[in-house]
Amino acid sequence: MTGFAQGLLDALLRDTHLITPQLFLMVVATLMLWPGDLFFNRNEKHRWAPITLVVLAITAALIGRTPDGEGFSRMFRMDGLTRGFEMLCVLGTAATVALSVKLLNGLKQQTVEYYALILFSLAGMLFLCGASDLISVYFSLELMAICIYILVAYLRDRATSVEAGVKYFLLGAFSSGILVYGISLLYGAAGGTTTNLADLNQALALTPTTSNLLVFSGVLMVLMGMAFKVAAVPFHMWSPDAYEGAPTPITMFMATAPKAAALAAFLRVFGAGLHGVSSDWVLPLCYIAGASMILGNVTAVRQESMKRLLAYSSIAHVGYMLLGVLSGDPRAGAQAVWLYMLIYIVMNTGAFAVVIYLQGKGEGERIEDFKGLGRKHPVLAFAMMVFMLSLAGIPPLAGFFGKFYLFKLAIEQGFVTLTVIALLTSAVGAYYYLGVVKEMYFREPEGEAVPMGATSVFVVTLACALVLVATAFGPWLVDWASKVTWV
Amino acid sequence: MFTANTTLMLVATFLPLLGALVLLLVPKDQRRVFEIGSLLVMIVSFLMSAVFWFGYDRASDAVQWAQAWNWIPSIGVKFSVGMDGISLLLWLLTTFIGPIAIACSFSAITERHKEYYIWMLVLQTAMLGVFITQDMFLFYLFWEVMLVPMYFLIAIWGGPQKLYAAIKLFLYTLAGGVLMLVAILAIYFLQHKTTGVYDFSLASFHAMAPVIAQQTKTYQILLALAFFIGFAIKVPMFPFHTWLPDAHVQAPTAGSVILAAILLKMGTYGFVRFLLPILPDATKMLLKPFLILSLIGIIYGALVAMIQKDMKKLVAYSSVSHLGICMLGLFALNPYGIKGGMFQMINHGISTSGLFLAVGIVYERRHTRMIADFGGLSKSMPVYATIFMIMTMSSLGLPLLNGFIGEGVVLMGAFQAFPWAAVVATLGIILGAAYLLWMYQRVMFGPITAVNEKMEDLNLREVLYFAPLVVTAFWIGMYPKPIMDVMDAPVRKLVEQITPGYHAAQSLAAQQAVAAKLGMQGMVAPAHHEEAAPAGHEAAPAGHEAPVQEAAAPETHGHGGGH
Repeated sequence: MTGFAQGLLDALLRDTHLITPQLFLMVVATLMLWPGDLFFNRNEKHRWAPITLVVLAITAALIGRTPDGEGFSRMFRMDGLTRGFEMLCVLGTAATVALSVKLLNGLKQQTVEYYALILFSLAGMLFLCGASDLISVYFSLELMAICIYILVAYLRDRATSVEAGVKYFLLGAFSSGILVYGISLLYGAAGGTTTNLADLNQALALTPTTSNLLVFSGVLMVLMGMAFKVAAVPFHMWSPDAYEGAPTPITMFMATAPKAAALAAFLRVFGAGLHGVSSDWVLPLCYIAGASMILGNVTAVRQESMKRLLAYSSIAHVGYMLLGVLSGDPRAGAQAVWLYMLIYIVMNTGAFAVVIYLQGKGEGERIEDFKGLGRKHPVLAFAMMVFMLSLAGIPPLAGFFGKFYLFKLAIEQGFVTLTVIALLTSAVGAYYYLGVVKEMYFREPEGEAVPMGATSVFVVTLACALVLVATAFGPWLVDWASKVTWV
Repeated sequence: MFTANTTLMLVATFLPLLGALVLLLVPKDQRRVFEIGSLLVMIVSFLMSAVFWFGYDRASDAVQWAQAWNWIPSIGVKFSVGMDGISLLLWLLTTFIGPIAIACSFSAITERHKEYYIWMLVLQTAMLGVFITQDMFLFYLFWEVMLVPMYFLIAIWGGPQKLYAAIKLFLYTLAGGVLMLVAILAIYFLQHKTTGVYDFSLASFHAMAPVIAQQTKTYQILLALAFFIGFAIKVPMFPFHTWLPDAHVQAPTAGSVILAAILLKMGTYGFVRFLLPILPDATKMLLKPFLILSLIGIIYGALVAMIQKDMKKLVAYSSVSHLGICMLGLFALNPYGIKGGMFQMINHGISTSGLFLAVGIVYERRHTRMIADFGGLSKSMPVYATIFMIMTMSSLGLPLLNGFIGEGVVLMGAFQAFPWAAVVATLGIILGAAYLLWMYQRVMFGPITAVNEKMEDLNLREVLYFAPLVVTAFWIGMYPKPIMDVMDAPVRKLVEQITPGYHAAQSLAAQQAVAAKLGMQGMVAPAHHEEAAPAGHEAAPAGHEAPVQEAAAPETHGHGGGH
């Protein structure tokens, strides 16, 4: 017995170097809760934000230093794909933390738990990026999601926030159930031997044709569960409400980091694990992607709330990114999705930074609040215009570049109809993004201009600069993206 | 001091952008600085571009001053520039219209001067970029970038319905643009499949024509339609023209001028540069519908212009009609047609700009454009009436003025290829004379009201910005040869790309006709001294018949070869 325990311990310790970033995050987050929280009194809680940023920087460094490899009974893999998407998660999280300070200060809602939950959730994402077994996919998804349920409901004295949290939680739990059921079906279909993605791929290839229905239902359920996590149509119902109700930095968080992680899992589960049975999922995924683009873009046109607009637009952007998952060449797909996600995180961060800034003054929730921003705040409005045009995919801004790569790949893989839908709906997208520009520049301002906080200025300027120059530095981006791959 | 080279071309193209960046630093209330500064930038850019008129080698059909820098090597995108005669003419038209558009804004723009002039300069660079790029990716980039400044120009400084007009222009063009992008990517991958390299260069796209010709019919037609819709929206051809009257009527005068003179030309340029040489076979398959749409545009535009009560709307619909003539020329697919189409682009740029400027003048003074509000203006504004007359005549194609040359050459080309189409187009030209003259008569003659009597005639600035247009209109009308020469070689090459062996067959047919007259037909075959001898022999037995179809037999004649 001791021999077995010893062996297990050895095996675990042997592989810990693969998950140092995750371990680091969880240890730090635990220490932050206790005894860390004792060091700052009620009015000093905002100090946790810079500390969290330092922790994130260290995490990023650790991710960079973690070697390639596979461990924990092949439950977790560290490779280019993992590392690339982990970096995106850290980036999105860092932007969230940087933009949280001011708003939470204003609401007098600074607590250590907020930052600790973000870190725990990030740990879940980092696991998810490298999960190479359906079981570890499920566990990491839950770790990530449960933290976010709480964060959505974080403003507990606001009915909308709590409602959003509960809604998200109930639907999330339901979809997890479907996901697990799908996993069990696949496990059964593969002969009850494995849930490891690579093995599963081989085992499913050998399944007798009689069990096709079993495989199909399993694949479909896994697809539904995952589509829920990235808020793809028709599993998107939760997202506009959750986005609107959540504190704005958390809205931004949901639109960026967890989405990057979930897409990494999407790429790995479908690109590697279920690649062999792609005939079962390509068509449903095509419909999901097409419906997301159409519904996301068309519904966004009618929105009056800025957060809902961004929620629906993020549904549409997920639709575009699913084109990369569909790609018959999973590696090229992963690279295009990564590039898009990187650019999307930067654009979205910028847009939300502007919203959060306006919200500090009690507005920014409605598109109307952008009225006359071009007069009141020329720099801020210019940056917002850049983000909006970039989200709409107007060249030469970064957003165009991301779209170009994805759509190029989709055409290469023969998804021409879907690409045409994507392009035409992105023209619809231009309509509502320009609607924001219209408010800023063509309407007369009301009220006085308020000076901006240093953090917002920094984040907005940085994001704007990145979006502006991204196309010029296309070769570097492509070079980085080419490292996002797996063996 | 300057010689025509790639560096100067890039400087002339990007100078407006640079100027915009400098003006960004000037404080908002310095109205004069913005006006004079942007005017100077445009004039310098024009002077630089004028060097290329003299430096252009008219004998060569190659892309001149070509240079390429690697940009995104992994997908074959290069920053590749250069011009041939076709691009040169439109590039020069752009730099020529630039200063005029700025000069006509001084009194028209009464608010937000800084943004206005900056957007104008940015727009100028984007438009110039479209004409010098030799890379499809870069072309798409400039093509879309152009939309943003135009959107702002209309949406901020436009008329009462400006927001609607601006977003309509934006979305229409964007939708067309993305379809074009799909077609570009499809050819890009087809190219990779056949040659194994990823390359976005225009030359490599042109070289794809024979490969595309071997694909299935549906594939070719879909590609051609994607390009067609993208460009037809921009031109705009019937039935994609509905954004144009809105945009023109709502835009400030300078916006209308640029829209008419240059932005619409991007569409026709797209046809000349991409659809015709890359997809010649598919174009021929779809030629009938294309022609019919062009003809509907000519007649429909003219008829709708006839009933307009608003002068600006009338000029806008006349654009639909004139560009229909231009498209008819291009779709004749023969040298006369294409040259005439090119001429029509330039002429339309000059005369329609002139008309929009003229409408802008009375609008500034009376804040109305309704024809019914005017009458007898020739009494109070004689100089204005004269210039308006010249521009009207130039637009309706009076001999000695530019419009005549364009329409005449188009009709020659159209008659060669499709006599019936030329007949219908002539009807449109007659209608054109009718609505323009009728407008002129109602505005300039008849009893004058008290308000109109007090209207001031043109001031020096206004005369100065009309002057280049008037001079050019007369120059082209009386001596079009220099412009003809510039496009001679590139058009010849283009026709060869569309119909390999066209010129050989043409000259053979001509020789045979002469020989037949002299009664020594048998001696022709050995006597002819065409360079492309094998093609000549092939085509010889059928030389008398319509050469367009006969010479299409491509087996002995390499694509784009011959000359």
